[in-house]
Amino acid sequence: MIIVDKLCYQSKLRYVNPMEKFFFAVITLILCIVSRSVFMGVAVLLLNRILTVKIGGISGPRYDRLMLIPLVFLLLSTLAVIVNFSRYPLDAFSIPLGSIYITGSWAGLMRAARLIITAMASVSCLYFLSLNTTMTDIIEVNRKLKCPELIIEMMMLIYRYIFLMLDIAYNIMTSQNARLGNKDMRTSLSSFGAMGQILFIRSMKRSRALYDAMEARCYDGVINVLTENRAVSRKNVMLIVLCEAVLLGYTILVKVQDPGGIF
Amino acid sequence: MENDVIIKAEDLYYSYDDTRSYSLNGFSIEIKKGSKVAFMGANGAGKSTFFLCLNGINKPSRGRLFIDGRELKYDKKELLSLRGRVGIVFQDPDNQLFSASVMQEISFGALNIGMSPDEAREAVDKVIDILEITPFREKPTHSLSGGQKKQVSIADVLVMDPEIIILDEPAASLDPRHTAIVNRLVDKLVARGITVLISTHDVDYAMEWADDIAVVHRGQVIAFGEPAKVFSDTELLRKTNLRKPAAIELFESLTAKGVLPAGLAVPANLSILEEYISNI
Repeated sequence: MIIVDKLCYQSKLRYVNPMEKFFFAVITLILCIVSRSVFMGVAVLLLNRILTVKIGGISGPRYDRLMLIPLVFLLLSTLAVIVNFSRYPLDAFSIPLGSIYITGSWAGLMRAARLIITAMASVSCLYFLSLNTTMTDIIEVNRKLKCPELIIEMMMLIYRYIFLMLDIAYNIMTSQNARLGNKDMRTSLSSFGAMGQILFIRSMKRSRALYDAMEARCYDGVINVLTENRAVSRKNVMLIVLCEAVLLGYTILVKVQDPGGIF
Repeated sequence: MENDVIIKAEDLYYSYDDTRSYSLNGFSIEIKKGSKVAFMGANGAGKSTFFLCLNGINKPSRGRLFIDGRELKYDKKELLSLRGRVGIVFQDPDNQLFSASVMQEISFGALNIGMSPDEAREAVDKVIDILEITPFREKPTHSLSGGQKKQVSIADVLVMDPEIIILDEPAASLDPRHTAIVNRLVDKLVARGITVLISTHDVDYAMEWADDIAVVHRGQVIAFGEPAKVFSDTELLRKTNLRKPAAIELFESLTAKGVLPAGLAVPANLSILEEYISNI
């Protein structure tokens, strides 16, 4: 999470209007899921990789490593689709195991492949958004989309203070280690508990201090802040519309021509 | 002369727990408009408590407090106008900065005192320029250094264009380079005609910078006046555990030994003392 946060501040697409990025990511994501097309999934994967790595300037290996994280989870969960235990062998592969077979069908394999590609394409859309857009900009998008004020303010404060919490937790852990606070399971558990306690108390204190500081600047119940003006680029909007139109066209084509197919 | 007084506190009492100990224990002071005042005294002496009173966050249980000749009232409208005129830069910037975006952070106070978004944007840009924040204005707050956070927290307050700015230990946990930057920014505030109150433990800085020194001890101001006078009072300094500024210490010893002629004015800093010595 912290790596993602650092990367998005370095992205060359950081100052692009967040609305443009948001709509590109979300519409592409929806079309991916609706069409479930393998061909489109691969196209979207490539497109997002080009946008984030080539244009955004995030290092390729790092991007791939980030993509691996969800892939591992996906592979584990699609095992259930691929592998069957059956009395009769299926057409793709079969390993005899006494009287039953560990086996799988081509149809099952294809279904799993399609699931993985669609899911990875969707993940890449979200990665595009989070690797190229700062959290403050994403909060602004939510504000413009009329998300309730309370949730916006909570997002702001949580995002600001999560780093402080982590910092305090890290420091406490270091000082506990320095005094053999983790020498065995027992002390580790009690040290961890103590840390939780202290974090809670410190958070309460800090929230009171923060409230005082906000009151000192005329806070009266609503957090008023300016929004950054990020210029809307005509060119970007045209490109996004064009791209989504192609994807939408393809989705319709797939649904009409070949409802059950994988392309 | 009465018109020149911007802050007047008469016999203030304040207790955090309402029972035993008073953090302010008959606290009285008069501060002139446009002056630079350094508050000195041990931690827990009542400096920060008094600062929070000036801004209406703490309400004294007894005593009267005047800002610009008007007694403080604690209804909402008066409080908002007071807080627009008296700004506090808190000691720990992490307790003050609530937004991850520097620009949003600074805009908060400006919008709260009723500026339109356009006015606020202009004011924010101006303050960012004055306080030399431009190099890191696009960085997230959590990746700023301690000194940079301090600069932003001063901007937070300056953007509201207050008459009085209070800095609670501005140099706390800053390295020498950032301390110098913050001191320079404080001088910019003074140059704009703002009354600046600082609490500090640095006697040499206080001696050189301040027009007046207020020594706070157990909830009371036990000495108030020119630095040369306050810091020459050995008995007072011993009582409050304050060190004598290096310039005065050396000056007194040189005068006592007859190296320097008697009757010279107390030097505000070491370079003035150096001049005395080279004039012998």
